[in-house]
Amino acid sequence: MNTVDVQAAIRRYAGARMYGAVTTERWLRLPSPDGEALLQLATELRLGENQLRDLWDWAEEIGERDQLTLSRVLSAQPIAAVRTGHLGRNDKLKVIKAVLRRLRFPQLVAVEDRLADLVRTLQLPRNVRISLPEQLEGDQLRIEITADSVAAWRAAASALLAASDTPAGAELFALLGEAP
Amino acid sequence: MATRAEPLVAGHWWRVNRESMTLSPGQYWLPDSVWIERGEEQSALARRLRARLPNTPTQVTDELLAAEPHDFGAGKRRLVVQRHQGSFLHHCPAGTTGMVCCNYLVVNFASNCPFDCSYCFLQDYLSNNPATKVFTNVADGLAEIDGVLRAHPERAFRIGTGELTDSLALDHLTDLSCELVPFFAERANAVLELKTKSDCIDNLLHLDPKERVVVSWSVNAASIIAAEEAGTIPLEARLTAAARVQAAGYKVGLHFDPLIAHDDWETGYRDAIDAIFRRLETQRIAWVSLGSLRMTARLKAAIKARPQRGPLLTSELVPGPDGKERVWRGLRVKMYRQMLEWLRQVDDRMPLYICMEPAGVWEKVFGAVPADREVAQRLVAGLG
Repeated sequence: MNTVDVQAAIRRYAGARMYGAVTTERWLRLPSPDGEALLQLATELRLGENQLRDLWDWAEEIGERDQLTLSRVLSAQPIAAVRTGHLGRNDKLKVIKAVLRRLRFPQLVAVEDRLADLVRTLQLPRNVRISLPEQLEGDQLRIEITADSVAAWRAAASALLAASDTPAGAELFALLGEAP
Repeated sequence: MATRAEPLVAGHWWRVNRESMTLSPGQYWLPDSVWIERGEEQSALARRLRARLPNTPTQVTDELLAAEPHDFGAGKRRLVVQRHQGSFLHHCPAGTTGMVCCNYLVVNFASNCPFDCSYCFLQDYLSNNPATKVFTNVADGLAEIDGVLRAHPERAFRIGTGELTDSLALDHLTDLSCELVPFFAERANAVLELKTKSDCIDNLLHLDPKERVVVSWSVNAASIIAAEEAGTIPLEARLTAAARVQAAGYKVGLHFDPLIAHDDWETGYRDAIDAIFRRLETQRIAWVSLGSLRMTARLKAAIKARPQRGPLLTSELVPGPDGKERVWRGLRVKMYRQMLEWLRQVDDRMPLYICMEPAGVWEKVFGAVPADREVAQRLVAGLG
């Protein structure tokens, strides 16, 4: 598409989805290839304004950091793989968001991955659930036990007690406290 | 007190240095135009400004709203002289729910700042009234402060003028420090902090602070100053000024705020600490604060609209419980602890604190959480 066609298509899409003027104007100010790349993504995933803005902000910040255009970020291999895959719209959106988050916050995600590995290492029974603080903005784990019997309760407590003595348990709290 | 018989020569370094990003020491900010609120033309401040800026277009206005330019950059080139309405003294907004508070009070004798730091919250906070303002009724502000200090003789107050402006960047025009320093020098239960990125210290050198005035510099890694603090002077020039005020009897404060997680931040901040303590006496340091970059959604939008951007928006910022984005907590703690270690290697008695952080971060960094008012009491007590 040429620039005029891209701008007309953006206006049509944004108008049909009732996007705010600020977002639409920001979109129209993009270089044409970037605006078109964003339009393709928005159309494929039928993105509402907030959904588009979330993905766009992260993609833009990745591009700024890595000296890439928005269209290059949105067509990068891990994102392209999801876009051409066979997932449904909601799953695609979820996975693309996760991929972009991984690219945008590499250090944070690496720590989250390590924490998830450590939790798995503890081999806790299925009725024990460990949750990490959102965005790791805290140093407390949330530990939940669900039990339908005293035996299940006791088994969970025993497993938790044993896990608390392992190196993985210690590393969990060390990592929550400070970046490696 | 320093007086200037000769009018200042209009230099407009502001425009020149938006390209070079630096300001040579000794060149101070001058406005493009001055607007004076009708009724304030004969105030001491208005008369002083007219004498010092004889060649700057000046007009008297009945309508202060008309004096507000439409964009933030223009606001930094226009000086509005007006009477302040309402209270001068406020609690520092850093005392947000959930954050450890150092009971800092701010007093606003001016609004907006001639510098153009990319991360500055004023881009958001003053977006609707961006003119650089100086207030004529300083005596009212001092009376208000006096009332509070007298009402609470048992408390130790830290009061700063650097929330909505740089405390000293306009002092060559206003002589405000010549009113503030003698006032606080006679107060037993308060300390004034003048916070700056400038070297406008001439007035201070002729005043006796009697240990009741701290002159503080915002400091950062050299690469951050060059990339993000347009119009300010380099670290070395700030340190030259800081060494001079130390020699003149002032204690100096240092604010590593905002700490920015940029590539090789360890080297940048280690070098800054080395440079600082090659020049300054540690025994004459009042306090050092550390604060991570904090970002509201509106500030982020303002930064994105700037033509040039450094590494601010590409560091790993995530929203916290107060809605502001900061570098994620584990990295913040790592940066604070590393800075603390370096600073304690210089002198382990230097008073240190962190700004706008929850109790959990204080605990990780210092091993303890101070009680309410404890931080302020400790910092003021250390001034001796």
